[in-house]
Amino acid sequence: MKHYELAVKFYKEKGPRHDKSLWTIRQKRDKAIKEVPEWESLRVQASEIKDYVIENLQDLVDEFIKNAKNAGIEVVFAKDAQEHNQTVLKYLKEINAKKVVKSKSMLTEECGLNEFLEKNGIEVIDTDLGERIVQLRGEKPSHIVLPAIHTTKEDVAEILGEENTDPTYLTHKMRELLRKEFLSADAGLSGANFLVADKGWAVVCTNEGNADLGAVLPPLHIISVGVEKLVPNMNDLGVFLRMLARNATGQKITTYTSIFGKKENGKRVIVLVDNGRFERLNSEFKETLKCIRCSACLTTCPVFRRSGGHAYRYVIPGPIGSLLAPLSDKEKYKDLPFACTLCSSCEMVCPVKIPFSKQLVKMREYVTKENIALKLAEKSMHHPQAFKLFSTILRLTPKPVLKTALKEWSRYKALPKIPKKRFISL
Amino acid sequence: MKIALHVPCYINELNPEIARKTLLILRHFGLNVSVPKNQTCCGQPFINSGQPTTLPEQFNEIFKDYEYIVSPSSSCTSTIRSQELEVSKKMYELCEFLHDILQVRDIAKNYPKKIALHNSCHSIRHLLEGAPSELNIPYFNKVKKVLGGEIVEAKRDECCGFGGVFSVKEGFISYVMGRSKLDDLISTGGEVITGVDFSCLMHLKGIAEKDGDDIEIKHISEIIYESIFGEEK
Ligand code: SF4
Repeated sequence: MKHYELAVKFYKEKGPRHDKSLWTIRQKRDKAIKEVPEWESLRVQASEIKDYVIENLQDLVDEFIKNAKNAGIEVVFAKDAQEHNQTVLKYLKEINAKKVVKSKSMLTEECGLNEFLEKNGIEVIDTDLGERIVQLRGEKPSHIVLPAIHTTKEDVAEILGEENTDPTYLTHKMRELLRKEFLSADAGLSGANFLVADKGWAVVCTNEGNADLGAVLPPLHIISVGVEKLVPNMNDLGVFLRMLARNATGQKITTYTSIFGKKENGKRVIVLVDNGRFERLNSEFKETLKCIRCSACLTTCPVFRRSGGHAYRYVIPGPIGSLLAPLSDKEKYKDLPFACTLCSSCEMVCPVKIPFSKQLVKMREYVTKENIALKLAEKSMHHPQAFKLFSTILRLTPKPVLKTALKEWSRYKALPKIPKKRFISL
Repeated sequence: MKIALHVPCYINELNPEIARKTLLILRHFGLNVSVPKNQTCCGQPFINSGQPTTLPEQFNEIFKDYEYIVSPSSSCTSTIRSQELEVSKKMYELCEFLHDILQVRDIAKNYPKKIALHNSCHSIRHLLEGAPSELNIPYFNKVKKVLGGEIVEAKRDECCGFGGVFSVKEGFISYVMGRSKLDDLISTGGEVITGVDFSCLMHLKGIAEKDGDDIEIKHISEIIYESIFGEEK
């Protein structure tokens, strides 16, 4: 099913509530960023740092690998999803791991790691509250920071087999269940929000502290991360840490912001993944590599708020997903760049100033084949007389025919009345 | 001042009155305004459909000799402004032109009805004719300044759901977005809804008509025209 059908279905079930909760978060975010007088100049700074990163990506990768090794972390470079999964499996097999605890990583979702490990007899327990909920429901996350925003407290009670729907009660219940998993896991897997090139460190931001448990308790910690997550140094890191949580949910900073170097009680491995990123550097969509996954563009998107994340069918939904998905599969996701009114709210909230309107329009061009009717219309508009003829034909078209042609419009809205005379009439 | 009136193709076809009133407004300010007869379309519908087009270049040829190009549409204005063309910096949406160049203020101060302003996305996010709620910049709104008096705005400055090709591809979502915009605007107690983009207004009108809402919807040029010349009978 395409975005549209899925969106209609979702809206009819849960749309108004979903819209309301995300709009509340958007308002919190608006309030929080207004507490930072230099917010707009921070955005400029963040955008410039990211421009620098993508222009110097290979150098930063080399620098990071060297420094991480010095810091006592093993680093493996993986060129694609398959290589990433194989690498993770290899490390897990070395210690004969049966169960791993994972904290949110969009990259492992991108690579299909959960399914791959399960197939290889390794149990994967997602440990972020929201991720765990969707995992138990047999679903994918619907938002990158609020993965279970599409569910209700009743949905959560149901999967836990509880009658009590009190959110605090349910959270405690889930925590109890997860605690056992942490203590019995053989390895911890996580993503990273940033990699600091000149230190060789990885930075992980979570609100539940679960990534820290996974990183510290088991003897092996594997970090899966895309190359674009690099930042040059700690000063640059500061810029992003100030913006990330504030822009996502209106928090001042993420509750647990941990910087990982050498692992004291075991081994830490970073799998640095390309999976098409270097290639994208040479495309007209290279600016998508600036994304820090704050999720603000999803939350603010008026279409996302009504359609829910699953309608996008890709790991990363919403505006940024509509740019990334077609790059991974042009045919399958060609409807996504059109699931957008080009309102540019995403562009206004984006901390790294990705030029969404321009990129989305380019993406439409990228996924669209030339349409003969539109081509003719375009041609006619080069000649006023031809254009007039073209529009006169449209005017003479009987209303029922027009209604069928514009059925998506006329099903919900009255068609405008066509006046007898034009203003410019030749 | 050599000024050209841009007549957006859909306005020419669907509501030519807007073009006529815009012309009369500009003339009222003593400007010498031409209407190039050979203009057709700025290319926006094609660009937004992902189709190749050279219409912006044609637009440039037609309008490049004018000092200003004034358009009663912020979406056409922003389409041209986002291209690298000689005309890009010379094109203004009507209210933007009145505000920035002619310094018009409070023109509709005594308008007899309470006005609810729909800030279209192209107006506030693409052209920055007002402060969008997403940015940390001081509040301002040029359209409100030009009109003057008590103008009410929707609580959410989000998109009305038109989006051109979007309204045809995703009719239902487009409708629910428009519906909440209408509810928001109606709840302000405004008696007439206005905005600088006829496209959004046409979409809202279509919903109001089908759903049977009793609300007047007028393009900004009509409000300004009536404020200057009185209502046409
Ligand atoms: S595109 Fe921008 S707003 Fe969206 S998630 Fe990435 S950084 Fe955040």
